[in-house]
Amino acid sequence: MTAATAMTIARAAGAIAWANLVRLFRDRTNVFFVVIFPIVLIMVLGLSFGSGFRPPLGVVNGDGGPRATELVRALEAAGHRIVPVSGDAEARDAVEHGRLSGALIVPAGYDRALRAYTPVTLALIGRDEPAAHRLGAALNAVVTRVTMPARAAAYARSAGVSGGFDELVARAEAAPAPGVTVAVSAAGAAGPSPLGGYEVAATSQLLLFMFLTSLNAASAVIETRSLGISRRMYAAPVPVGVILLGEAAGRVAVALLQGLVIMAGSALLFGVRWGDPAGAALLLVAFALVSGGAAMLLGAAARTGQQANALGLLLALGLAAAGGAMAPLEFFPAPMRLLAHVTPHAWALDGFAELLRGDAGLAGVLPQLGVLTGYAAALLALGAWRLRAALTR
Amino acid sequence: MAQDEILRCHELRKAFGDLVAVADVGFAIAAGETYGLLGPNGAGKTTTISMIAGILDRDGGEVLVCGRPHGPSSTWGKRRIGYVPQELALYPDLTARENLRFFARLHGLGRAEARRRIDEVLAVVGLTGRAEDAVKEFSGGMKRRLNLGVGLLHRPPLLILDEPTAGVDPQSRNAILESVAALAGEGTAILYTTHYMEEAERLCDRIGILDLGRIRAEGTRRELVALVGELDRITLTVEGPRVVPSLQALPEVRAATGHEGRVEVMVEDAGRALPRVLGAATDAGVTVRAVEVHEPNLESVFLHLTGKALRD
Repeated sequence: MTAATAMTIARAAGAIAWANLVRLFRDRTNVFFVVIFPIVLIMVLGLSFGSGFRPPLGVVNGDGGPRATELVRALEAAGHRIVPVSGDAEARDAVEHGRLSGALIVPAGYDRALRAYTPVTLALIGRDEPAAHRLGAALNAVVTRVTMPARAAAYARSAGVSGGFDELVARAEAAPAPGVTVAVSAAGAAGPSPLGGYEVAATSQLLLFMFLTSLNAASAVIETRSLGISRRMYAAPVPVGVILLGEAAGRVAVALLQGLVIMAGSALLFGVRWGDPAGAALLLVAFALVSGGAAMLLGAAARTGQQANALGLLLALGLAAAGGAMAPLEFFPAPMRLLAHVTPHAWALDGFAELLRGDAGLAGVLPQLGVLTGYAAALLALGAWRLRAALTR
Repeated sequence: MAQDEILRCHELRKAFGDLVAVADVGFAIAAGETYGLLGPNGAGKTTTISMIAGILDRDGGEVLVCGRPHGPSSTWGKRRIGYVPQELALYPDLTARENLRFFARLHGLGRAEARRRIDEVLAVVGLTGRAEDAVKEFSGGMKRRLNLGVGLLHRPPLLILDEPTAGVDPQSRNAILESVAALAGEGTAILYTTHYMEEAERLCDRIGILDLGRIRAEGTRRELVALVGELDRITLTVEGPRVVPSLQALPEVRAATGHEGRVEVMVEDAGRALPRVLGAATDAGVTVRAVEVHEPNLESVFLHLTGKALRD
């Protein structure tokens, strides 16, 4: 191939791809659906999945005595971010609106009750969800540890040991009590660290929107045919292969652009780190090729734009749901997880998860890249074959 | 092949299943010549020009463009053809300039050349002032003119126009016809399909009458008319003594009849006979109040050849 021929091919294929991109964004609603909508969804889903942000624990210290203060300090030492709250009503409101993960009420008379060796109940206000129960268990452990000397003092007093409360507590704290501890040792390789909420949301929306936007733009192929532009392209002095290349490039460019918007947006706005740059770039390109191939096949096979839009929406949402781009694959039972890997989405998700955990480089995602490349080759070949038939019919 | 022959096709054949759309069609067009394919809808005009444009495989026959065999895979031939389809093959959401730029790139025009040609074409089709407007905002006539402009971008020696005035207002139609005539004047060979008899008569140097996929007759308008034996008719409105015998005596006159001040004179060529007819009337002492000339048109030729009207 001469340089001039290569230039002619690039010029023609580039013109077709360019027309596809310009037409996509000339419709202002597409700017919303390609740029703004996915970013908003990532934000909402990122918060829902848990973004690493934990609201603080509120403490209503109604007593303020030394034992109550000691308890609050012990909670802080255990890693709880403590926010003082003035009363029960304020604490309840803050928990209801999600500003606090829970609120511990230390009642007035807490100190006096301990000194009198009488039982005290600490109320914990939490939302009716598993996280509140986990918080309750964690607080119980701290409270049990902090109040253990007071219990020992109570026992000593009942056993006839002389001395006041403070003295007995001090002696209990100083006693070399035989404790039982659990020593943890690791076996085997470390398991995968869980992804943060924004990372889960960004990867799933990346794949969902790349595929959805591509299939949505497939109707442009039908419009090009129905307007007679395809025939006119065929009448131009470019081989039919170049027209097919241009149409494929147009579809892939749409998917790639959508992917770049989401990757860049999620990195800038939500701090998502996409891992090894080469691995992430190749996964993005591979999935863009898959999406572009699917769009080309749909555009060549469907008879009308309406048919393509309906089928495209069904396919995009169906494959995203089945492939784990709507709910994380970890939520799927094992057989469904296996079945999910019929879709390219599941392979792409696996690849991005490897990169996002920071454990893998390009070599670590080669299997996923291989499978995605296979999907892309099959879809692009089928799409080109159908479109060629439609052009030369 | 004649030295200035741009297109020659012969024995073109195309069938869609059992339906034979085009059978043994052949003609040639020289540089600067406008050849009209005249026929009703479904006659095979679009199928014929699709094969010539290289966008439809033919079942048989041959197409030569500038002396070289041409077909769907011939980019050499396609570089020499400007194809203007019947449908408005334009992106409605792109501007006129963007549409032209798109097709200029497909035709391999470089950036600078494309810019220059786009400006020239916009001027030719009268859309310079609307170059930056989206095509969807254009009237039907403006879209037709832009559709024509796309076919001119690469200065093709052969321009194929498939019903380029379908559904446009008289003003735009006139503008398109004037542009086509000007292109022919500059040496472009033009293949023009239409079912508008008036357009074929106005534009075409030669006409092929196509019906049911076959060319029924071919020639200049006068040759076609002569083929079916139709005569020109001159109608005189006169005052004064009888003039019919004097007119019947003229060698150009095939027949003359008169009734209540109206005289009908049948001649072979009204243009040549008219001065002699008027002279004879004056010599006979009559006053000629009005003259009407009726030349037999292609409609009557078509009716004679196919047994049906052109718009059936």
